[in-house]
Amino acid sequence: DKKQINKAFNSILILLNSFFHSFIFYCYSFVASQHHHHHHFISFFHFYTSHGYITFNLLISSRIEGNIYKMHTSSSNLKREFLKKWVRGLQICCSSKKEMDLQERKKKIKLCADIALASAKNATTSWSNALISEAKKDGENAILVDNLVGPESYFEPTKTAHRTTGNCHRRVRSKKILKKSCNVGQRFKKKMGPPRFDLATYVAKRLVKKRTQVLKRLVPGGEAMDEFSLIKEALDYILSLRVQVDVMRSFANATELLNQSHVSSIVD
Amino acid sequence: MSSRRSRQSSSGGPRITDDQIIQLVSKLQQLLPGTHIQRSNKASASKVLQETCNYVRSLHREVDDLSDRLSQLLSTIDADSPEASIIRSLIM
Repeated sequence: DKKQINKAFNSILILLNSFFHSFIFYCYSFVASQHHHHHHFISFFHFYTSHGYITFNLLISSRIEGNIYKMHTSSSNLKREFLKKWVRGLQICCSSKKEMDLQERKKKIKLCADIALASAKNATTSWSNALISEAKKDGENAILVDNLVGPESYFEPTKTAHRTTGNCHRRVRSKKILKKSCNVGQRFKKKMGPPRFDLATYVAKRLVKKRTQVLKRLVPGGEAMDEFSLIKEALDYILSLRVQVDVMRSFANATELLNQSHVSSIVD
Repeated sequence: MSSRRSRQSSSGGPRITDDQIIQLVSKLQQLLPGTHIQRSNKASASKVLQETCNYVRSLHREVDDLSDRLSQLLSTIDADSPEASIIRSLIM
């Protein structure tokens, strides 16, 4: 597991560090004893141990912070990509005619935002692929999508389709196996006496199933995913939605500020 | 969550263990807004899923509201202001 590997690596670092420092210390003490430079030895010892302590701490903390930094840069990368693509999309959409009613303009803004978010993922997640293929179904969006997403060969839709149908077959087959084994179990249980019915587990399972169905409808492409992938995709989808909301909000605030400053300058 | 029997309803190839699912669910739980103190280990899977659905729905609604707000802002931009030309050159 990643955490265990990190821990092991950190402990190896500690060990190596201490060996290295003690080795240098030994060498220096040997040299110092030869030359009878005891006072220099003590100050050097202080300096060196503090220096070693600092480097050691830096090594450990940089490894820990490295992971946090990676997470932060990935979200800021996504923000940048999303903003670029969204602005490009708005240029394509809103350049045609300036007289649009509010609803139409709002729909275009939202559509551009969704497609920009999905294409900023670069076909790495299945929810983004599902969103893009859903948007492509509408002929009007074809130009927009092609411009934002790039050439067709970029992400292979056939592969994902195969994977999902493969999953579906496997799921259907394994559900049949599960049903058969349940039936066998029940026939056996009938001979043994009244079955032990755990109400809590039954209710819990039904609830989980119900909520999973709802989540499947919320995450794009969720209907074709098994539960494990669904949760993974939901994790990434939530993070990306946050990025979308942050960027859109900042943009709206900036536009409002610009508008207000203009209005106040006119009044003055 | 569900019992510890092997889950045959998952993908057939690599058997997904219950532990992996529990790990995922706890990661999901960390993302959700709410008091972090309470949500240590007590939240069941169905509750986490429900909170996830609510959160996704609220995020969708926020995007919708922001698109509304932006569309209003962009339509009321005065044509001749220098600021408007900035915005216009950016997105229109």
